[in-house]
Amino acid sequence: MRQQGDFLQVLQEQGYGMDNLFPSSKGNGVSSHTELTMGTTVFAMKYADGVLVAGDRRATAGNVVMYDRTDKVLEIDRFSVMAIAGVPATAFEMARVLEHSFKYYRRSQLQDLSFEGKLRALSTLLKNNAPAALAGTGTVVPVFAGYDSLEGCGKIFFYDILGAEFEAVEYAVSGSGSSTIRGILFYMNRWGTSPVAGMNEEDALIFVLRLMTSAAEFDSATGGVDAQAQLYPIIKRISAEGVRTIPADRLKTLFSEKVLT
Amino acid sequence: MYEEPYRWIEAVANRRTYLDDQFTQGNPLIGVSFTQGILLLTFNRGTDKVYEVYDRIALGGMGHPADLEKLRYTVLDMAHVEGFQRSPSDVTASRLMKNGLAPVIKQAFEEIYKAPYITKILLAEVGTTQERDHLFSINYDGMFEEQREFGVLVASSSIRETLAQEWKAQVPPSSLQAALEVSLRLWGISSLLQTDMPSSGDEEEKGDEASPTTSVSTIPDDEAIASRIRETLSKETLECVLLDRESGKMETYRSLSQAELQPLIPQKFVPTTEP
Repeated sequence: MRQQGDFLQVLQEQGYGMDNLFPSSKGNGVSSHTELTMGTTVFAMKYADGVLVAGDRRATAGNVVMYDRTDKVLEIDRFSVMAIAGVPATAFEMARVLEHSFKYYRRSQLQDLSFEGKLRALSTLLKNNAPAALAGTGTVVPVFAGYDSLEGCGKIFFYDILGAEFEAVEYAVSGSGSSTIRGILFYMNRWGTSPVAGMNEEDALIFVLRLMTSAAEFDSATGGVDAQAQLYPIIKRISAEGVRTIPADRLKTLFSEKVLT
Repeated sequence: MYEEPYRWIEAVANRRTYLDDQFTQGNPLIGVSFTQGILLLTFNRGTDKVYEVYDRIALGGMGHPADLEKLRYTVLDMAHVEGFQRSPSDVTASRLMKNGLAPVIKQAFEEIYKAPYITKILLAEVGTTQERDHLFSINYDGMFEEQREFGVLVASSSIRETLAQEWKAQVPPSSLQAALEVSLRLWGISSLLQTDMPSSGDEEEKGDEASPTTSVSTIPDDEAIASRIRETLSKETLECVLLDRESGKMETYRSLSQAELQPLIPQKFVPTTEP
């Protein structure tokens, strides 16, 4: 019997199978001359008023910069955000499936899917995508953050490529530039003057811009902040009121006043 | 026995009488397009009658809840698959009605060995401008109509005619409050006319006289309408959904809460509290 409100099942009944969703799962792996677009830096961290999710704008294939205006922090619904690292084609498709799954569930079942249900949905997608992930053609390592209305708090989860889900207490990072950030966050929380979770919004935003700049310093696949070209990371804030994008103007001011100097 | 054409026609006619009779007990539903969006209004005794279908589309129903639920899923599945595989802007009420609902409802109605859907459905799609608003209403036999300004689900086609005339006589509403007042009035009129409708039993007694359902009924006086609305407001729940053109978001559907509605209801319709 069909599970109520399952959009993937509806798609499959219409002849749209898992293989169509992630076509690379039947591939023979990456041929030697194929360069996949993968490098990135995305992360989510808790601060005083909720959760901030940030991602740089660069998309690379090997050592070629493909695009400078990628949005890797995707709003799935009013209360959840997925930050993607990995193969964009698969990652964007997953985001689209999730977005429609949550909408479909809410409209058909006349209630919102619980935060835990949303996490499971992403986990299932990653699990189904495992062959492509192992072949290297569809690797996606997302960070999922959202507001859990049942428990009344923001939450951050990260995944491995096979769909195992882990809850992050303070922060989660993903992508090629993430190791730098992870080191800094660890240091800040352990020996820093104030733990990240206690920061107010302005301090947290300045900190995010600095982290992104640090990541870009050591990872060529991370765009960081390009003030000359007016390119700032995408930063979204999650709180009880839902997801809100921090306007580029605000980042511009903070960057020129608190990061450059 | 239905192999003969005459028998089949007779069976379909019986079906019509049976279904018409079912709807005389139903709750009318009014959809009105105005500057800010589309307002859908009805009353319910517990179960909602208006549902979100897609970013810009809502569905209102009259009739049997189980049938409505089944058809709601048909529309939801179609809309979401289309929105996913093509794009959200390709999901239109017109195609959901013409390709999704109409064939299903018509087939069920004409398959005389099976039960028909005891339901009438209104699909409303809010556009970026008022000229792009669409309202589609479909009858239990699969006949549908498209309107730009208003759409109704009522028990008979004569009541619908009356409401269409009444709508033309009204000043086009330019605020939510005005839209609510007009919709309440239209609801009141259809509710009164429905109560006065002869049931199928009465018709048989009258024999072959001109069918009363084809003539346009007269509009009840203002006090009768207000009194019906007051009476219903005190007994049932007013259900209002706004497809908000000005929401600024992809999703336009918003169910209006009772607290939001209370101050907007015209004084003449507010039930007086018993001393």
